[in-house]
Amino acid sequence: MPDALSVATAVPALRATGIEVVAPDGRVILSVGDISIAPGSRVAVRGPSGAGKSTFLQVLAGLVWPQRGAVRWGGTDIAAQTEAGRAAFRRRHLGIVFQDFLLFDELGAIGNAAIAQAFAPRADRDGLRRDAAGWLARLGLGDVGVRGVASFSGGERQRIAVARALAGNPAVILADEPTAALDRGNADALAEDLVRVAAAGGRTLIVVTHDPSVVARMDRVIDFADGRLVADGAV
Amino acid sequence: MGDLWQSLPVPVQDGIVTAALLVPGLLVGLVLRRGYAPGPLVGAMLWRFRGANAVFVLLMAASVAVGVGLTAQERAIRRGTAEAAARFDLVIGAPGSEITLMLAAVYLQAADMPLLTGAQYARIAADPDVALAAPLAFGDSHDGHPVVGSTADFVAHLSGPLQAGRMFRTAAEAVVGADVPLSPGDSFHPAHGHGPPAEADAHGEAEYAVVGRMARTHSPWDRAIIVPVEGVWQVHGLASGHAPGAGDRIGPPFDAAYFPGTPAILVRADAVWANYALKSRYTTADMMSIFPGTVLSQLHGLLADVRAAMSVLAVATQAMVAIGVLAGLVLLMRLFARSMALLRAIGAPVRFVLAVVWSYAAALIALGAVLGLILGLGAAVALSAVLSARTDLRIAAGIGWTEVQMVAAFLSLALILALVPAWLSARRPILPDLRQ
Ligand SMILES: Nc1ncnc2c1ncn2[C@@H]1O[C@H](COP(=O)(O)OP(=O)(O)OP(=O)(O)O)[C@@H](O)[C@H]1O
Ligand SMILES: [Mg+2]
Repeated sequence: MPDALSVATAVPALRATGIEVVAPDGRVILSVGDISIAPGSRVAVRGPSGAGKSTFLQVLAGLVWPQRGAVRWGGTDIAAQTEAGRAAFRRRHLGIVFQDFLLFDELGAIGNAAIAQAFAPRADRDGLRRDAAGWLARLGLGDVGVRGVASFSGGERQRIAVARALAGNPAVILADEPTAALDRGNADALAEDLVRVAAAGGRTLIVVTHDPSVVARMDRVIDFADGRLVADGAV
Repeated sequence: MGDLWQSLPVPVQDGIVTAALLVPGLLVGLVLRRGYAPGPLVGAMLWRFRGANAVFVLLMAASVAVGVGLTAQERAIRRGTAEAAARFDLVIGAPGSEITLMLAAVYLQAADMPLLTGAQYARIAADPDVALAAPLAFGDSHDGHPVVGSTADFVAHLSGPLQAGRMFRTAAEAVVGADVPLSPGDSFHPAHGHGPPAEADAHGEAEYAVVGRMARTHSPWDRAIIVPVEGVWQVHGLASGHAPGAGDRIGPPFDAAYFPGTPAILVRADAVWANYALKSRYTTADMMSIFPGTVLSQLHGLLADVRAAMSVLAVATQAMVAIGVLAGLVLLMRLFARSMALLRAIGAPVRFVLAVVWSYAAALIALGAVLGLILGLGAAVALSAVLSARTDLRIAAGIGWTEVQMVAAFLSLALILALVPAWLSARRPILPDLRQ
């Protein structure tokens, strides 16, 4: 596991209040009362397909702006930020693994995993690339060369997405079904790595997952159904 | 400040103007890209959409090439025609059209012209300021090549040392221009007139022997055959220019009483200032003097409006293509909208996204502009070669500061306009593009 375990910034606490997300067709797709997540927590988010799990994660990341409510990370209400402010927050604090990976097809594995070096301060670039390469190696993609990721398998693409999310030493890791495309062995190894890197850095880890063995490694589980939070408790 | 500027060498001034034109465009890029490293991503995107990119670049290059080619070609023609007139310091003829006189003397475009008399010629030839006074007798031809009567001094003035053979020594000998397909040792029968209506048999058994070939002059005279003016007169059954007792001698001095007349006299003074004195001295009721170079620049001046219209057209074409390319880029943006949305989703600053899209557009635009400069120059060089071969003028198109500055201005403008697709791209909502 790459050795840069210290977090780049202080890990912020999350406090979301009265979030409501309404789809363009008028349907309420997410409606959550109050929810707090302490720094360093490991939270699993569960629920049937269409329950609003990804939407919840996107709200936390400032990619979806709720029509109502506040999403406070530390002192910042990300829902009230400008576009630039939200981007800066994601860049500085969040490592996001998207459900459909969202890789740059024109780049190779390391190009994707280390993409942030293109806009990172010059001083951080080498470290970022080392980190990214370290994570790729750790996830079994150390020697895939420079071919474009379009030719990679689903599982390989997923692991590249994870390497990209972890390369910046984020304070908060948001992972949307990060093991869905993996076999049991790879899924367990990845889950173990996520937990270890979170624990070692005191990071907050929020994972949307259907995988019981991932849930088992968390310390809190939140259940969604129909856009509502239906259960919240310790594992 | 103005003095300092004037004191700079012209190429330095041109270089500074070019740089100043480029600055606004480059500044946009510098500001956008400062502190970022968009190169690898932009390179990968350019490669990924290389087919569409190639179409854009070629379109741009073609339009820039048209502008560059037109202006370079036009300048080359102006220079070539001026060079052909360079050896014709002062031409004197009977009063009439200056342009007709210039076209006949410099470009051998035959026309019926009134003649100067022997007395007039004698007066000019005897002028102490005149170093060379050569009669130019037009009217005959051989196989499409003008046969012009003059003197050995004129041949020497035009050609310098001969390329081959020797100077004519009798009225039946001829020296040919560099492009005439006759060699010393050949002979020919002159025809009366020029072109298809030339009467081949009008001059009966008259025959010239070719004895020499002139060096290349890069003028229509390269296609001409020069014979002693006495030959032309004799072929036409006129007096020989010399008293009957003078034998077969050729060349000046001529005897005014036996001088049949000449449509034009080339005059050269030893001192440049003397040319002006001579011009006014021989601008009289029965004589007209012209500087062919001046008449030519008046003609070029007449074309200045055409030239201005041409540059406006060239610039307008480029502006239209630039807009076309930008519109195309806006469309192409949809292809990489997902990548740009993704950049923003992982927290890339807006300025970085702008830098990526701008760099992408800038790469295409710059490549198109440079390629266009090269293509335009190539086209002008090729066209010039054809024109040179057809006209005997030396038409040499080269790249000039005009073209470089035109392209620089275009490039700079396009680089600023490239902000438009960049800005549009950074304004799109993130999530819909991510779902693509
Ligand atoms: N832009 C949108 N317009 C309309 N409906 C939307 C939009 N975005 C999401 N939804 C709907 O909101 C609901 C929640 O979507 P979300 O992606 O959060 O589900 P999920 O819990 O992540 O499901 P899965 O497990 O299948 O990934 C779905 O019914 C989805 O169709
Ligand atoms: Mg989902």
